Amino acid sequence: MESTAKKRRCSFNKDWETTYHWVKPVQGDSQRVFCEVCQSSFSVSHGAPERSGREFGSRKPRREEGEPRTEKMPLDQDWTAVYPAATPFRAGSVPLPVRMGYPMKGGVPPEKKGNLELIKIPNFLHLTPAAIKKHCEALKPFCTEWPSALDTDAKCDEHFPIKVECTDYVSSGLSVRNPSARIVQLKVKLSILNLDDHARKKMLKLVGERYCKDTDVLTITTDSCPLRQQNYDYAQYLLTVLYHESWKTEAWEAEKTVADMEEYSWEGSPSQKNIMDMLLRMKVAGEGEGEEVQEQLLARSEVQEYKDSVTRLKNEGDNESSVLQYKEAVKKVFNL
Amino acid sequence: EQYKIVSRLTHSPGLSTLARSSLLCSSSGLRGLHVTAACCKNRAARIRIGKGNKPLTYEQALHPHHIGHCKGWLSQHTSNLKGEEGAADRTVEDVFIRRFMFGTFHGCLANEIVLKRRGNVLIVCTIMLQKMIPQKIYFLIGYSEWLLSHLYKCPVKLEIQTLQDKAVYKYI
Repeated sequence: MESTAKKRRCSFNKDWETTYHWVKPVQGDSQRVFCEVCQSSFSVSHGAPERSGREFGSRKPRREEGEPRTEKMPLDQDWTAVYPAATPFRAGSVPLPVRMGYPMKGGVPPEKKGNLELIKIPNFLHLTPAAIKKHCEALKPFCTEWPSALDTDAKCDEHFPIKVECTDYVSSGLSVRNPSARIVQLKVKLSILNLDDHARKKMLKLVGERYCKDTDVLTITTDSCPLRQQNYDYAQYLLTVLYHESWKTEAWEAEKTVADMEEYSWEGSPSQKNIMDMLLRMKVAGEGEGEEVQEQLLARSEVQEYKDSVTRLKNEGDNESSVLQYKEAVKKVFNL
Repeated sequence: EQYKIVSRLTHSPGLSTLARSSLLCSSSGLRGLHVTAACCKNRAARIRIGKGNKPLTYEQALHPHHIGHCKGWLSQHTSNLKGEEGAADRTVEDVFIRRFMFGTFHGCLANEIVLKRRGNVLIVCTIMLQKMIPQKIYFLIGYSEWLLSHLYKCPVKLEIQTLQDKAVYKYI
């Protein structure tokens, strides 16, 4: 078959058919033979089939691939058993004649067998209504009813005034942990807390930016600890400490100056002194000096109105109504 | 980019031609360089058309500018969303896993590999040709899952489907 002097390629020899029963010629290619045992063709350009090292002895024939499962599926099967969890699309498991892809000109979209597009997309075959019912049934033993007494938002606020907010993050990556999940936000309305005037003012000073005047809500955000549990405990501790500290009066609080005051108070201010002096000079109350005259003047309604208008101007700022009120009060005091 | 450069070497015989030529002059001889405009053809993921006997899968036939229109995405994860981190790490992992699968199942892959990430689970979906006996494929599946899980410290699952031949979309 193979010459040693001059190398040339072997081609099919008819004698082989008698020697090896499994050999059949391949049309169009004399260098290849077809083996009936394993249903495949191979090259014989390097020698006889025996010498090529294959097919020696009987080899197990190539197993035919079975028919896909879709052929054997009954119509009333339990689909939740076929797709119990989220899995990519399997053409042999889904008995639907689905097609996906941009069709060739004059053609149809490619079929589902070997279709990569169907595998790429997320599918919800595991979330059919029957499957969701099963999930709900499985979760029911762990759920309790919402208490019927808490049917309005107001009642919820009344019984549970402190609101704690944490966020959980879902993402795909090597780790499911997200460091931003440790942040805890605690919200409480200051009107709930039992604070007198001094305590409230001290609390507001201690808290600073965290208090929102419009909604009367104190927000404490903690993220300094690595765990959410620790941040929650810290936020609760902060609230407790703030409450107790604002009730205490320290020695140095007596040094509070006018600049530290949150609101304008008319008693003892330059405005009071000015108007007292002016009224005394005008001799409105008649003759007499001393404390009684002062008290009398203070008790006058015009003076009270003036006091109100000045307090309002200083606290609220300059808007039309407060300025008008001040003008009216001044006119009354001077009897204009 | 492709530049088609045509260079012509001209040798001047005498001083008279030197005076007349307007090309680049040097003390001895003349050399001319003629350059055509660059032909900036896009070659990304494109198989050039041939005689009509080359089979192409859907993935190979549609070019990258069809992604989002006629093609889907081969790899899905949340890192490309706003506020999420780790996009570069995921991309590097994807590249490694594609090369790894291409080498482990050499000659058996019928199409590109689809990677899906669900939480921290990595699901590698492939379509393979029935070239190896099932026992070999089972071994390679177990080997890949084990090795990749240990490399990336996250559960890696392989979802294999097999075909007799590649699914041809068109012939180029």
